[in-house]
Amino acid sequence: MVTDRTAPVETATLAAEVEGLLEPAEADGVFRDTRECGGALLLAALLLISPPTPRPKTDVR
Amino acid sequence: MAEQTQGAVPLSAVIADAATGVALALRGEGDPYALSGMLRHEDALTPAAVRVLGADALAPYAVEHRAAPAGADDEAVVRQALMAYPPGDGASEVSLWSYRGLVEAAHAFLPGGGRPWPPAPEAGTAWVGDSPWPKLSHRVSQLAALALPGLASGLAERLAARTDDLSRGFVRAVRRRDWPQAAGVGRWLARLPDVPQTLGLDSGLAFVAQMGGADPRVALHVAAARRFYGRGG
Repeated sequence: MVTDRTAPVETATLAAEVEGLLEPAEADGVFRDTRECGGALLLAALLLISPPTPRPKTDVR
Repeated sequence: MAEQTQGAVPLSAVIADAATGVALALRGEGDPYALSGMLRHEDALTPAAVRVLGADALAPYAVEHRAAPAGADDEAVVRQALMAYPPGDGASEVSLWSYRGLVEAAHAFLPGGGRPWPPAPEAGTAWVGDSPWPKLSHRVSQLAALALPGLASGLAERLAARTDDLSRGFVRAVRRRDWPQAAGVGRWLARLPDVPQTLGLDSGLAFVAQMGGADPRVALHVAAARRFYGRGG
């Protein structure tokens, strides 16, 4: 894309943008909660080792 | 984000380019650093980018034994930024401190050419004592550019009294994966004395660089901590 670094920009808008960039809001945190991860892991393990659902026998004669 | 003229480079991209150049210079890579070579005087966004980067725009000039000294063009670029974006009435402490940092850096690292620099505005430090530690850490990370040798010594003295709280803030930012905040607070901790050994600041900063180094300003903060204070591996 062709870009123009000398394009006119609104001074007041730019001043407001500068102030915003000087003092950005705190980013939302991305937590890795150990207990939640452990719980999810335990659930996955239980599902994996659980016996298959019993099904009625089909006699082949 | 403010609207830009169609086809224009957004301010954030200009800042990112400049931050990459500063980080390269602090790592001793690339061509000899010249602010006016990286941000051209006639660019409409140059003063805004310099104002946002603050003292970091001049950080490579703080490196001892530089190959090339700052020139008159660099001085013109900084003067332009100081003239265009002074802190207005009711400006926040961050805005005041950031402006003050740029003025102090200009005094310290640019020749001046006989013309006086604008006076550094008074900026308070009461917030350092009053703020709860998460808020303190966030604000300190916004002022990471002031963590340069010889700048904002009054602020550094006040922050030294809250080193433990900033250490908590560093850990919190890493756990939240807020790499810009972690890098900014880590850079300040690199400057402060008596940082707890148990914090593991060096490996923490290396981790932040690994995880968040794609952000040019994160890379800049980590490079500054390493270059000026020998922290971060």
